Amino acid sequence: MPPREDSSKVARRSTRFSSSSAAVENPEPNESHPPTIDDLTFGGESFPLDALLSDFPGRRSQILDLIRLMGPLDSPTLPVIVYGDASTGKTSLVLQVLRHLNRPFVYSSCRACYNPRVLFESILNQLLLHSKSSSNGYSSAKRCDKPSDFVNLLRQSLGNVMETLDSRSNGKPVGKMVYLVVDHLDLIKEWDKGAVILQFLFNLYSLLKMPQLGVILISGLPPDVYYSNMGYTDPIPLYFPEYSEDDLRQIFLKNQTNRKLYSAFLDVVLRPFSRVTRRVDELSTTFSSLFRKYCEPLDDLGVSPNEDLKRRLYSHLKPLLAPCLNEIFRVSSRSHDDERRQKKASYSSENREEVGVLDFHMSTSAKFLLIAAFLASRNPATLDASMFDSTGGMDNRKRKRKASEKSMEKKEIAEQEAVMKGPGSFPLERLLAIFQCIASVGDTSFGEEEEEEEGEATGYDREKTNLMSDILLQVSSLCDANLIIKSGSCPLEGTSRYRSMVSEDLALKVGKSLSFPLAKYLYRR
Amino acid sequence: MAPSGTVADPPPSSATDSFNSGATAENDIRPFFVLHKASSGNLQAKSTGTVKSKRRIESPSPSKFAKKSEPESVEEEDNDYFSTLRLKVFDTVWSKIEKTIENVLRDSNSKVFSGIHDWIRESFESIRSSGALSLSEAVRSYPVLTQASSKQLFTALVLTRNLEMVDDLLTFEELHLRLKSQGCHVAKLSSMDFSAKNGVGGCLRGLLRQFVMPTIDVADVTILASWYRENKNHENPVVIIVDDTERCCGSVLSDLILILSEWAIKVPIFIIMGVSTAHDAPRKILSMNALQRLCASKFTLSSPAERMDAVLEAVFLKPCSGFTVSHKVALFMRSYFLCQDGTLTSFVRTLKIACLQHFSLEPLSIMLEHFCQDDSNQLSDEGTGLLTEATMKHAFDLPSVTRNKITRSTYEMLPQFLLDLQRMPNPWSIVVLCIYEAGKFDKLRLLDIFCETLDPEARYLKYFSPSATVNSQSHISGRNSVIRQLLRKLRDLSPSQLSSLLKSWEKLTAEFSEINDKVMELHPFMRSVEAAGQRQGLPSSPKKHASRSHSKLEKELKAMTDKVAAVIEFMLREYMKPVESVPFNEILCFKNVDKLQSALLGDPRGRIQSDLLESHSILHCMCCSQRGTTTLLPSMHDTSILYTLAQEHADVINLHDWYQSFKTILVPRSSKAKPKSKTASKSKKRKDRCEEPPEPPAEALVQARFCRAVMELQIAGLIRMPSKRRPDFVQRVAFGS
Amino acid sequence: MGKENPAEKSLNLIRGRLCDPTFVFRPLSSSSESNYSKLKFIVSNSITEGCNNSILLLGPRGSGKSAVLDLVVSDTLEEYPDSVSVIKLNGLLHSDDNCAFKEIARQLCMEHHLLFSKMASFDENSQFIIAMLRECGLAHKTIIFVLDEFDMFAQGKQRLLYSLLDAMQSVTSQAVVIGISSRLDADQLLEKRVRSRFSHRKILFLPPSREEIESLLEHLFSLPADSSFPIGYISQFSEKIKSITSDTRFKDMLRTFLNANSTVNSLVKFIFRAVSFMNMESGLLSLENFKAALSSMQRQPKLEAIRDCSVLELYLLVCMRRLEVKEQSSYNFISVMKEYKTIHDSFQTSDYYAQNVCLRAFEHLREREVISYAETRGQTQTGEYRPMKLLISASELHQGMRSHACCPAILVKLLDH
Repeated sequence: MPPREDSSKVARRSTRFSSSSAAVENPEPNESHPPTIDDLTFGGESFPLDALLSDFPGRRSQILDLIRLMGPLDSPTLPVIVYGDASTGKTSLVLQVLRHLNRPFVYSSCRACYNPRVLFESILNQLLLHSKSSSNGYSSAKRCDKPSDFVNLLRQSLGNVMETLDSRSNGKPVGKMVYLVVDHLDLIKEWDKGAVILQFLFNLYSLLKMPQLGVILISGLPPDVYYSNMGYTDPIPLYFPEYSEDDLRQIFLKNQTNRKLYSAFLDVVLRPFSRVTRRVDELSTTFSSLFRKYCEPLDDLGVSPNEDLKRRLYSHLKPLLAPCLNEIFRVSSRSHDDERRQKKASYSSENREEVGVLDFHMSTSAKFLLIAAFLASRNPATLDASMFDSTGGMDNRKRKRKASEKSMEKKEIAEQEAVMKGPGSFPLERLLAIFQCIASVGDTSFGEEEEEEEGEATGYDREKTNLMSDILLQVSSLCDANLIIKSGSCPLEGTSRYRSMVSEDLALKVGKSLSFPLAKYLYRR
Repeated sequence: MAPSGTVADPPPSSATDSFNSGATAENDIRPFFVLHKASSGNLQAKSTGTVKSKRRIESPSPSKFAKKSEPESVEEEDNDYFSTLRLKVFDTVWSKIEKTIENVLRDSNSKVFSGIHDWIRESFESIRSSGALSLSEAVRSYPVLTQASSKQLFTALVLTRNLEMVDDLLTFEELHLRLKSQGCHVAKLSSMDFSAKNGVGGCLRGLLRQFVMPTIDVADVTILASWYRENKNHENPVVIIVDDTERCCGSVLSDLILILSEWAIKVPIFIIMGVSTAHDAPRKILSMNALQRLCASKFTLSSPAERMDAVLEAVFLKPCSGFTVSHKVALFMRSYFLCQDGTLTSFVRTLKIACLQHFSLEPLSIMLEHFCQDDSNQLSDEGTGLLTEATMKHAFDLPSVTRNKITRSTYEMLPQFLLDLQRMPNPWSIVVLCIYEAGKFDKLRLLDIFCETLDPEARYLKYFSPSATVNSQSHISGRNSVIRQLLRKLRDLSPSQLSSLLKSWEKLTAEFSEINDKVMELHPFMRSVEAAGQRQGLPSSPKKHASRSHSKLEKELKAMTDKVAAVIEFMLREYMKPVESVPFNEILCFKNVDKLQSALLGDPRGRIQSDLLESHSILHCMCCSQRGTTTLLPSMHDTSILYTLAQEHADVINLHDWYQSFKTILVPRSSKAKPKSKTASKSKKRKDRCEEPPEPPAEALVQARFCRAVMELQIAGLIRMPSKRRPDFVQRVAFGS
Repeated sequence: MGKENPAEKSLNLIRGRLCDPTFVFRPLSSSSESNYSKLKFIVSNSITEGCNNSILLLGPRGSGKSAVLDLVVSDTLEEYPDSVSVIKLNGLLHSDDNCAFKEIARQLCMEHHLLFSKMASFDENSQFIIAMLRECGLAHKTIIFVLDEFDMFAQGKQRLLYSLLDAMQSVTSQAVVIGISSRLDADQLLEKRVRSRFSHRKILFLPPSREEIESLLEHLFSLPADSSFPIGYISQFSEKIKSITSDTRFKDMLRTFLNANSTVNSLVKFIFRAVSFMNMESGLLSLENFKAALSSMQRQPKLEAIRDCSVLELYLLVCMRRLEVKEQSSYNFISVMKEYKTIHDSFQTSDYYAQNVCLRAFEHLREREVISYAETRGQTQTGEYRPMKLLISASELHQGMRSHACCPAILVKLLDH
């Protein structure tokens, strides 16, 4: 969770930024001020406890616990694992506590460090005060990809750091301990040989036998999912529960310019949305856009809303809530003439206007291919013969009646396993066979829909004779567009089977655009 | 010259095209890759090598000679002098066309590109305004704690509304250069970098290779950060272009997004995703966490159909190069675009092939050179100067000439003909453009109008007798004539639309007085209509008229639309004479659909199979060619023998039977059945030694040849190796003619 | 630094003790039949005899095997400073033979002040080690090999173990191989050729007895009288400790805790937690500290996970549970959605959301490992078609939903039938 600070502090820090960044502006490259031991601490002005507590509403107990566990200045500590759901403020809270205590620490996130080598080297780089730059060819201080080497190097570098910490006299006391913070621990499970690395990290403290190193692990998962066949002495757990509703309210009320207005807004949105998800990042993205909408009727945002204003704003916002609740990915459209284009996208013909047009161009054979793939995934292969005989799926109806005659629970089971199976897979031949059938069926409609009469003569029948090469090409491009996914190696070998990923409404849309009677061919269970 | 050579030189478009498929070969579509290249015209010569070249050589040459077949023989050097000359002219003409197309495409994209650039600038400023970071903060490994909502990653979804990627590769390349020229740090990742095998390290490495330096020991995002803080890099945004999002491995892309979003404050990164299908494609690919890190906004490129119209307008309707195509060719190109692959690339390729063949087939096409540079007076003498006796003769044998009863006697008025041939397209194209303008309200495609108006025996013209216009609504046969449709739709245009239509017509017909006057006449009526509209006050749309029939405005509008329709019909009646109805049009106009098609759609699978069936017609070996084609001979090529045998089986072939029949072919009955007869009559044996192998090959040899032949068939993709379940059966890959 | 209040100082002291296993295990190793003395005896007489030896220290994790070993090693180093050298390996780090040999060579070089080349090949290293073994044997110098996580070495081809034990067969060498493992069957993992060369001497580490724990406690909490603590504070502190330890409630707490996990280290962790709760004003421990520690140590992650769920996620869990009750053999997202819809149709619940929102909730549940895919490698289908399974029991679900902040009542009803 990105921490929110009250505006005063932001102002203060930003002034500090401007001063420090003024030093940066003049273009001297990196190595001109190499990192010192102070870069291990947060630096900056002291960060009092009350500010920390006000930064994290609903996290008081966790903050105090963490401070207690880390103990007073340079008192050794057992490894701690901080765990809790995503965006519950684990990372930022740990960092802010370190900032508050002003202790030197090393942070590495297993997100950015995506394999053991990168992880180890980043930790060592920070300990050795090494910064990658063009002068050293962006290389690490030490090359290290084995845990065994890592332990040795870590001992050395920790030793160096301890010396420098001892020698260091000026400034605030930072103690004689370094804390190692490893974030996103749960990602390691997905690494190859991740289990070993995990056990290594959990045992790191007892392996090193250096009380000067405090280990803080941050994980999205509770520690007991990491148990493996050999186990380990698990660190002291510290649990971050999901925010309650009024925690959320306080969080969102922080650094709002007009708190009254925003709380009125929260009265409207917070309850329904927190039923769906209580993750702050998701909520904040939603709320930021909604709040803009909410404020649209207002002329000045400084007003403190009274009841009827609230009511008005609510009635203004109300229609937007339901769609927003059911949407997870909002794409704001920037190009001004977008919708005009959207309309023009459809190829000109009357029967295209009223149906939802598909807003991207496909060649006609690709469309037929798409439908064929959809049918092949949807219908059982045994039906193809009866579907695509000369009568073009006329006895489909009879088959349906038979299906209805089937006894109830058998149907139940069949349905359920169909659901389990999902869209079926099919070989290339079946696809092409179906394609040729429906192309020949849709031919008539196809003709007068796309061509003039004489265009029909020159156009289609000719290119139907040598469809093949281009059809395989179309299959490939459909695969690329994820409309069909394929498994297996080489389609000319027997091994590859295809599966259509097309949703039914898209398929129907395409069928409409060809004026192809798709519904007639669907085998309804 | 023979088209084989010319076809073999790749058009630039198809070069990128084949590159694209080469790229996709990573996604396991190599077999398609072969076919893809083969279908793309330039490589079919390779795919079925010997076949093509032979056929080429024999096919065009007789036609050329047929043109020149005269009682007095043509001297050769003159002939090839002209062929080289024509080739030169082709180069000039085609380069001109190509340049026009490029410009058109660039214009069609430029608006979107500038939109993207503005978006990047604005968001970049918004990020920078939230407080600059000190260097130590910017490169340290833990997130910046002071900005709220710091994990949003600005993302542009660029909808290339075409299933095919081919056209858009160039588009994104342009975008890349455009942004680079405006100072952004741009890296272009393709789906190759997002392979599941290399994981997120692979694409990070790709990024760093493009941004920082080619040799990175271990790819790490901190490198990016520290690079970004070095000499003044941090004053420009970092842009990452992923041109084909659908093909990327979703998990890897999500990982990259998550990593970058962690660093979004320190390194302001903008991702530009090319999405070829619907705009919610990312939702299908990305993981939920990655999805909600994206702060997405979408940009829409012009659809291929729109680009197509723009290209048509620029190439054929605006004065570009005199070259045009006939009605049938246009229809073919249209149906190829609509039905087969809807890429502009392939359309341009078709056009190029057409142009090429025109120059290779039509001797008089030299004159196009003079149409290119528009000073016409010097055409008369020099152009005729070019004409030798032979070409003159040929010119007056042209069907269009003979049709119009122009005889050799009117030789001196040839320049005259050529002149108005040159100025002929202008009124016609103006009319077409006017109709297109009118059709825009109805969202008619220029492609349709173009194809219809090219029609030499213009069926729609006969509806424009004043009698027909009355009952034009009730006309059935004109149902799918675009122009009739347009006239019908014309009735319910709002006054505002009408006025805008008039203005555009004015502009179009500016330099063509006859139509222009007509258009000008309409203006007073227009004014009265608008006046009526103002008097009535409310904005007047046709619906409102339908609802309560307001007398005055209603009448005015009706009259107005009638006038407009009348003008259109006037234009059509007077000036709508397509190219093909003009004498000497063969000089400009390419008509030969069949050649174009055979050059364009090489159907390699079908050809491979047919050629396998009659191999002797290709390799003219004397041993089996004089024999009938039906009987299989041991001297034939093993593969073709096997394939011919395979025809008898169903789609599964029992290997044993196959082998047996193959063996019986190679080892003829006679040699095993009655050896004594052979020894007895040496003479007979010697007579047909030339046909039979001297002694039957050994069993092992036969088996070896069998295996090799089967292998070749498999490699050609005609059969499939035995499966686990049925080890002794091969399957025929059933598709193909 | 000098003027820190006694509370902080004592806290630091105790924390330091807790974090130092050798200190913790010192008192436990006093008695004569303790593991310490056994191990000490074996090691020292194999040093004096100059013979080879091999021992396994077995016991649950955190029972202080390596701590005791460290004590022994340090003491032997004091006794025979120049005739012992110690090589420490850990199965976690050196499980693959190549880097194990490299590590041994490195430590030997450090020991004998030779320079160590990283580039040395596997064979060179093994040659070197054999040579060193012989040299030390001739010099009557014992090499103690400590193999922590012994079972990890037993994986793979066991070349390290074989070559070590094989080298020890020769009379000249004298070395002691001490394996430490939390697997009681560690010696069963050995290949025959290795096992035959291994002397099956094992030392078992058992959970501490009551009086051991008491001695441990007062050993931990006794403040040194000499140091700069004010006398009053010391007496006060020890008084408090005595009162706590004698308290029956404390005894009960200790019992309940030891029932759950009985090893010394877990006890140390418990005490650490309690000490970290120490009141800094008074600088005294109290019973409440231990209570808080106990409550914070007893966690139920599954319940926590369910409490973290949003209402929608609860709905999904309940749907899956209902599907399980219906004896559906396997179910995936689609079938769960159907169940969800039927629930909505029959009860007209207020929370009915679009499919993609549910899919997001589904993903959240999956990355929280409340649910997971039934089989791991079924990659052919896309996510919503892959069969799923619940990772929590019905009772956990019940408890969690009852303790959930805003769980709709209807859901609990739906769960019951």
